[in-house]
Amino acid sequence: MTTTLSEKFQSNIRQLDIKDVVEAASHVIHPYGPITAFAARDPWAGMERQPFVEAARRIKAMNNVDILPNDTMLQAACNRGAINIDHLKAQLEDWLDEQCLDIPEEVQEQFCWNQLLQENKSLQQPLKNHIKNAAKKLKHLSSEIIESGHVQTVSQQLQSLGLDEVLETLNFHMIKWCKLFLDEGQAVWAMPHREEGFYKAWRKLVLLDPALNRGIRKELAHTPIEADEALNQALHDLNIPQAQIQTYLEAHLLTLPGWAGMLLWHDEHSADNDSLLMDYLAIRLSMELALVQPYLPIQEQAEDDDELIEAMVTSWAVWGGMTVNEWAHLSFTEQKARLVLAYRFDSVQQHLLWLEAWEKTYEDHLKKSVTSKSGSENQTQIALAQFAFCLDVRSEPLRRLLEKAGPFETFGTAGFFGLPIETCKLEHHHSHSALPVMLQPQFKVNESLTETELKEYDQRLSAQGSAGLTFETMKHNLLSSLLLPEISGPWLTLQNLASSFIPRSATNVFQKLREKWRSKPNTRLTLDHKETDGGELPVGFTEAEKVHYARQALEMMGLTENFAPLVVICGHESESLNNPHATALDCSACGGASSEFNARVLAALCNIPNVRQELAKVGLVIPEDTVFVAAKHCTTIDELEWVFVPELSDQAEAAYQQVQVALPKVAEELAAERMPELPNVGLKWASPKAKALHRAKDWSEIRPEWGLARNAAFIIGGRELTKASNLESRVFLHNYNWRNDRFGDILMNIIKGPVTVAQWINMQYYASTVAPHYYGSGNKMTQTVTSGIGVMQGNASDLLTGLPWQSVMQSDQTIYHDPLRLLTIIQAPDDYIQRIFDHNPDFQQKVDNGWIRLSSIDPDGNWKDWA
Amino acid sequence: MLHSFYSTPMPTLFFIFLVLSAVSAICLLYPKVSPNYVPIHIGIITLPPLAALIALFMNHGSVSFGPFRFNALSWLLAFFVLIIGLIVQRFSVRYMLGDLYYKKYFTLLTLITITDSAAWLSDDVRLLLLFWGATLFGLILLIRLKKEWQISKNVAALSGQVFALSFLFLMVAAIWIAQATGEWQLSLALSDHSLAQLSRWEKTCMSLLLVLSVIIPAAQWPFQHWLLNSSIVPTPVSAVMHAGIVNVGSILLTFFAPLFVGEAARMVLLIVSGFSVLMGTGIMLVQADYKRQLVGSTIAQMGFMLIQCALGAYVAALTHAILHGLFKSTLFLQSGMALHQHKPINKLTGVSAFLWKAAGVGLGIIVAIGYWLISPDQGYQGVSAIILGLSMTIAWIQLTAYDYGRIGRFIGLVILAGVTVVFIIVHSALNQLLGETVQANIPLVSPLTILILFILLLGSALSVWLAHHPDSKAYTILYLWVVRFGEPKAHLSESHPKHLIKILSKGGPLR
Repeated sequence: MTTTLSEKFQSNIRQLDIKDVVEAASHVIHPYGPITAFAARDPWAGMERQPFVEAARRIKAMNNVDILPNDTMLQAACNRGAINIDHLKAQLEDWLDEQCLDIPEEVQEQFCWNQLLQENKSLQQPLKNHIKNAAKKLKHLSSEIIESGHVQTVSQQLQSLGLDEVLETLNFHMIKWCKLFLDEGQAVWAMPHREEGFYKAWRKLVLLDPALNRGIRKELAHTPIEADEALNQALHDLNIPQAQIQTYLEAHLLTLPGWAGMLLWHDEHSADNDSLLMDYLAIRLSMELALVQPYLPIQEQAEDDDELIEAMVTSWAVWGGMTVNEWAHLSFTEQKARLVLAYRFDSVQQHLLWLEAWEKTYEDHLKKSVTSKSGSENQTQIALAQFAFCLDVRSEPLRRLLEKAGPFETFGTAGFFGLPIETCKLEHHHSHSALPVMLQPQFKVNESLTETELKEYDQRLSAQGSAGLTFETMKHNLLSSLLLPEISGPWLTLQNLASSFIPRSATNVFQKLREKWRSKPNTRLTLDHKETDGGELPVGFTEAEKVHYARQALEMMGLTENFAPLVVICGHESESLNNPHATALDCSACGGASSEFNARVLAALCNIPNVRQELAKVGLVIPEDTVFVAAKHCTTIDELEWVFVPELSDQAEAAYQQVQVALPKVAEELAAERMPELPNVGLKWASPKAKALHRAKDWSEIRPEWGLARNAAFIIGGRELTKASNLESRVFLHNYNWRNDRFGDILMNIIKGPVTVAQWINMQYYASTVAPHYYGSGNKMTQTVTSGIGVMQGNASDLLTGLPWQSVMQSDQTIYHDPLRLLTIIQAPDDYIQRIFDHNPDFQQKVDNGWIRLSSIDPDGNWKDWA
Repeated sequence: MLHSFYSTPMPTLFFIFLVLSAVSAICLLYPKVSPNYVPIHIGIITLPPLAALIALFMNHGSVSFGPFRFNALSWLLAFFVLIIGLIVQRFSVRYMLGDLYYKKYFTLLTLITITDSAAWLSDDVRLLLLFWGATLFGLILLIRLKKEWQISKNVAALSGQVFALSFLFLMVAAIWIAQATGEWQLSLALSDHSLAQLSRWEKTCMSLLLVLSVIIPAAQWPFQHWLLNSSIVPTPVSAVMHAGIVNVGSILLTFFAPLFVGEAARMVLLIVSGFSVLMGTGIMLVQADYKRQLVGSTIAQMGFMLIQCALGAYVAALTHAILHGLFKSTLFLQSGMALHQHKPINKLTGVSAFLWKAAGVGLGIIVAIGYWLISPDQGYQGVSAIILGLSMTIAWIQLTAYDYGRIGRFIGLVILAGVTVVFIIVHSALNQLLGETVQANIPLVSPLTILILFILLLGSALSVWLAHHPDSKAYTILYLWVVRFGEPKAHLSESHPKHLIKILSKGGPLR
């Protein structure tokens, strides 16, 4: 009796442990939500505790994925002068200084420099057996130099022994179960037993799965009922030492990080305690155990330390011009120092130096254009209209051109305008969290109509979708599906021909008809507070909350005085057809959606008389004539479209008219600036504006716009700093005036929210460029939409969660996005920066470990590097 | 040349355009030709389908032009193949931009469509084999165009093997017929006079060879793998494959119809394609990957097309092949729109719902009976009537028994009426067009009709029962089997497309 109790107790402890281990292991992957709300995610956000270069080494060792720009990219950058070789030299010297190795300075510099440039290769390659002999003599040093290797899964070990099929089969089955389990209504017949959970459903199905042979099914017949027990058992049977369990699970998670990330996302967004990731690992390891059974025990891999030493000796021979015999003349410490240098100066380190030189070169360029041209601070003319844009890099050229077009002033702030809301449009079934993914919504704002209006609108919506739905229903019936091509074929052909040969007109006509039929009534927003039952979010804001969020938004964007008669809050939205990644071009600060809704909410809040009265009490006086309106910047076609215009005062009306006059010209200029950047064929004589429209409305367009490609820096400071310069749509701009931020709260908020969003965007573009197969989403031409949540490549693959190849590449062999880590520049005195570090150790960690770069411009205009 | 132009202007013009397209396609191979030439190429390849369309309307009777034969059927097929080629290439202009093999795609797509259309114009068996073989070969080249991607090479090898098999069967059958009848010209070899020389077993063997040859490109069981694994090709190539290659069965069997009269071969074809309909539909229902759903649907549709052939309804089969080609190519090209966020629609309840549904059932029965009475294809009419009636019922209920409001429902019914009218117009036009050239003097084959009705109705009943019993063990077992049928082979998929990095660095300078 007592023994069983204690056994039970022990097994409880083990279960608790395994949950924690899975939790800890999950930091190597990142949660990814459905592609229908593609918000930027940094794949390495969980790894910021280690330096960038260490993470790079680790990912390379575990998955053979390179996360530094490769030689081709560097060469291309070099060729167009984007990398200043002097910087490379300086970076190398700094690095060598840090190493403090006992090698003559010119020797180590020559060795490294030759390797970096791949120049001065020694012509006489030593013979292989000479190298072997020399390496043998140095072997005793290997334990002191080489750090312990990384853990590989059993199936990976088999793969490195040349037995690919186990890992292949394991991945194949995991992809199958994941796509069937996670399906959101794309398949008509759902996976049986799905509601019982991932592991339990799998356990019931796998025993009947004809894709597995009987032997394997027999192996799997004894898997425990609960996922955690199964995981424990598999780990035990695979003989994984206690200390390696976490890394073992990490290695498994990193083989299909997309599917695992999607499961993790579901775990984070579900109320119950069952962990899908635990289920996933239990299934994966149980299957691995069954599949590797015939190959066990695996022979220990031959020590590859020898090869490593040989490689080091060779590289000294090739790059250092050091003959094999010379080793014998060196002392023990000198030998060791040289091996250490060769070991540390691996390809990751070399590429890192190149990357840093590239980044420095860009920083020089930016520094020049910002400091040489920064205009005078005092503004004499009061603006007629003020525009608040999302800090998205695409707003930079629009702001520049708008400011030139008239007495207009512009501001940059995060596109969710600080509103932690969940939104629900009338057309949508589900609500959307319209804020950065790292924050939680606190309020709900819906579009609303009177009951009869809503009913009629719903009916029109339903009728509009009725033809499509009939098509679906007929498709899903065995008999009628056979006739469906004959019934719908002529109509689809018409649609096809129109979309192929007159894409713009066809799309325009179709969209106009749809809007006409829908004729959406003017909706109201549920801004007023209403308590909801059942633990849901409250709908709307209380009076105090309205004041709070209006004030916060205005302070964040730095618009607290000198209000113009017309203040335009601008969201942004992209437009493309036939594009599963459409939301990747929308606002990431709004969780991968148009930021039009948030703009509307803020404009409405700022117009409420009560709110203005309360704001005036704290010194934020908005003149009575000033009217807030909302608009959206359609990034694909360069237009600014009004989405909310209340009754205007006379002055506001005049400003509105002037803006209307200026807008078409601005759109033309912006298109003319943007279009040459995009690869094009045909349409030679079309105007830039027409070309932009074409991209938005053509179903065959693979690059509707560049999105945020080439983003590289984030400037937090006054507009006068950047106003005069063309930042080439590469810089996030957030208004900030340290003089109005005595306690540093605003800066703290900017770092916490907008900078993190921008860093994630930047890292996602970076990762999708350097490892398009692993962190990107592969080639758009061979993608297939899967489970209604994402895309796979080819016949089946990991769920690919990043940006498509075409979003970062000009062509298969020319990169467009420069993979640079985000350079954040804060215009503030040094103690402000220090204060952020003190209050936000996470941010300091990011800077110290090289996940983001930080510079500041102090009040005297001095540029300081904080890395 | 001049002479032939006056006597047969359209075929001459058509061939001039074909040659022009081919020359333009080959020009694209020269490295110096800029991608900006591609839009001009699209202009050039617009000419042949235009010529074919005009000829189709002007066509009277059959015209021989060297070894080629021009009649309504061959003009229609040429137009169909070329228009698919044109649409797909027009789509590729922007969709493929930036691809390493951008220009080569157009070369191969153009050449494939030209040889494919020429194959169906050939009256000489040797020419037909040559052109069809070239089409299959071109398709394999197209599949493996991205040679840096090991998977695409593997898939090309797999497809190559089965295509070779299919081609071999066709070649043996065709040469055998030619040898046995002493005629290379298809129309002469298949005349009543020549066929009378063949013995019964010869005809049966030849028919069986033909059956084997056509079920492979149609991806029928047990040859479904090549299509299931070829989702790795770029979307436009899939569109061409599913529109212009898989449906060759209907064309070949129509050509060889006079030979294809024995019971045995038809029975084999019927059973294989009947099973494939069930399998393909199952794949479409259980798969969560959009392109794979489309593949499942193609297998089922091709099964249905071959059933039509087995029942002797060649006009219906060709109509199906053509409309399916246009349908499926459109669905592939717009596969980026597969993500939908539908707001659920409110169903009607109570008496009004019942009345609308009852009306739908009544209408379905009337349509079925009405069609049965006027339908021209004897053997196939029963199958067709039932499916038509059922489709009408489903569409009616879907368009009326929901809360659309009065105007919405009215518009729904207008759509239904419009679709019905267009359906009738298109079908009667094709019937009329093809009626003259396609033989339809097939006797009523009642046992086969009953067999296929049995398979389809049983499958239908089974699917309805299973859909309502998702907790049953039968559902689980069937589900897993269908999933297994629809999955690619493990070694023909990879977890991450590693070739992208390889292409980027390909031949690129090292620093």
